Amino acid sequence: MSTENTTPTKKISRRDFLGISWAALVGLLGAETAGVLFRYIQPINTGGFGGIVNAGKVDDFKRGSITQNQAGRFYLVRLEDGSFLALWQKCTHLGCSVPWVDAENQFHCPCHGSLYNQMGEVQGGPAPRPLDFFPVTIKDGEVFVDTGNPTQRSKFEPGQTTKA
Amino acid sequence: MSILNSITNSRIWRSFFRHGWPDNPLDRSLIMTTNVFFHLHPVKVNLKSIRAAYSLGLGILTVAAFISLALTGTMLMFNYVPSVERAFPDIVALQNSVPFGQLFRNLHRWGAHLMVLTCVLHMARVFYTGAYKPPREFNWVVGVVLLILTLGASFTGYLLPWDQLAYWAITVGTSIASYEPMMGALIKKILLGGPEVGQASLTRFYGLHIMVIPAILLLLISLHMWRVRKDGGLAANDLDAAPLEDGQK
Amino acid sequence: MAEQSPQQEAFPKGSVKTYNLVEVVRGRTNMIEKGPDNTIFSFPVVAILELLITLGMSAVLVLFSLVKNAPLEDLANPLVTTDPAKAPWYFMGLQEMLEHAHPLVSGIILPGVMVLFVMAIPYLDNSRIGSGQWFTSPRGKKITLWTAIYTLIIMPAYIVLDNLFPPRELLRGIVPDFVAQSLIPVVILGIIVLLPLVLLMRSKPNAREVMLVLFTVLFVSAVVFTLSGFLFRGPGFKLYWPWDMPNGYNPLNNL
Repeated sequence: MSTENTTPTKKISRRDFLGISWAALVGLLGAETAGVLFRYIQPINTGGFGGIVNAGKVDDFKRGSITQNQAGRFYLVRLEDGSFLALWQKCTHLGCSVPWVDAENQFHCPCHGSLYNQMGEVQGGPAPRPLDFFPVTIKDGEVFVDTGNPTQRSKFEPGQTTKA
Repeated sequence: MSILNSITNSRIWRSFFRHGWPDNPLDRSLIMTTNVFFHLHPVKVNLKSIRAAYSLGLGILTVAAFISLALTGTMLMFNYVPSVERAFPDIVALQNSVPFGQLFRNLHRWGAHLMVLTCVLHMARVFYTGAYKPPREFNWVVGVVLLILTLGASFTGYLLPWDQLAYWAITVGTSIASYEPMMGALIKKILLGGPEVGQASLTRFYGLHIMVIPAILLLLISLHMWRVRKDGGLAANDLDAAPLEDGQK
Repeated sequence: MAEQSPQQEAFPKGSVKTYNLVEVVRGRTNMIEKGPDNTIFSFPVVAILELLITLGMSAVLVLFSLVKNAPLEDLANPLVTTDPAKAPWYFMGLQEMLEHAHPLVSGIILPGVMVLFVMAIPYLDNSRIGSGQWFTSPRGKKITLWTAIYTLIIMPAYIVLDNLFPPRELLRGIVPDFVAQSLIPVVILGIIVLLPLVLLMRSKPNAREVMLVLFTVLFVSAVVFTLSGFLFRGPGFKLYWPWDMPNGYNPLNNL
């Protein structure tokens, strides 16, 4: 800007330069305010669901079992090979809570009839992708589920589970 | 009459109103041009534009519903705390213990549905009477924004009773938004204040419902009505214009 | 009143000047070529009309509120989903759409296109002919009527047929999900919406008539989808007659 202003041809008048500078400053102020507001309205985590939940001892979960954790809003699946998979109970279609139906041996969403198998893969209904899963870590024989980090996926892969 | 005139000519009256008793053309003009509430109207209107069969009164109905909602909503605020522990018991107490509490809640609920309905019907009326045509294009766009804001006002209010109906309606409603590929997940997170509907969502919806959306609505409704006058009143006025030649805009 | 006669003149001598010439602009005003004959003072007629509308609305609202109470269900429980779980009634058209196509298409793209189209209407049809007249012309009235009847028949038929033979389930695993859930619904809906327009094109319509067809198709479709989702969807979000819902579910309780 300043070099432009001192060129002999004087393409830009002093009045215009000051005007543009003021406009730029006001624009900057507006952008700053918008940035501050955007940061301000971000959600904060206050414990409970959204934090790391202790689901219990590894040995409490039988192989091939599915256990609901109400506080953590997830189903802890222990597969036949002994590894753990934590499925968020939220239907990927429109967010209803999906119950596990023992009689049908699958997750059956009451809202729009989406069906998922034990690994959370879509078996029917309008759901566009498998149930989201939470990262599971195992420490000192206890299972911890990080409910703050739901992960989306397009199909089940062994990498989504955690070996006991 | 002389008493009335001495009142309307007194210094006190004249300090309030800058016109006399509006029973003559001059004062009937002045009441429209010098009064902030009346000035959204033109001084004179075409007889065609106030025929009920033309406008069906839908725009005025929507404004009347908005005013009624602002009043009943304020009444409800005196007996409501937006917290997940208090919200539902407060609504139950409002219905069972507060005198006329149920009536005010009913008025607010049905008024909200009425406003959405009249807003949609008003849009259809404006479209089918061709009232969006130049020079009223911009006011049509403002009207569409007003309809979206009205839906937003109703939707944010839907969560506040914190019952099963509210909870799952908002869960389903916000899940639809999250399918928007670029900003959807972010919009949902900011709106809900967390991964699922909870205390943060209730606080945010309350703030949007009682302050943010009504304030923008009030501003845009004023703009919308003022533009009606500035764009030549209701489109029925145009019928008295001489027929335009073909191809002429 | 007699001694007040000078006030009854429109512009009495010695009155305060209330306007100024500020700027001269070239162009036609909205009142050009219009006589003042057909106009009346807004005050008090318009004010009284507005008051009457407000009073009438208040009376109807109070009476209705005395007859029917606002619904209140049990305390919110994030663990138990109600069956069915429905959005507020004005979003039920959207939720009904979600049954028929992938959420990105039915929840975002189609409604987005619809809102943008509605906002763009005055810029697509910018002639002033017929402004202020219901349906513009007898031909416009006929076009609107036939488009509305067409939509009222074909949209419920689409909802029922798509519900009986959903491509999503019939083609699962046979073709990619994108084809079954996005492409097929968009093509079918596109044909339904554009068919009356194609028919109209043969008679050289003007912009207003094209808008009449498109707006009517979209508006009536929105009404049909909203009613279908709000009244005809019961437990499991399956189609039932509104008076014949299982589990004692009454769609009107969702208002």
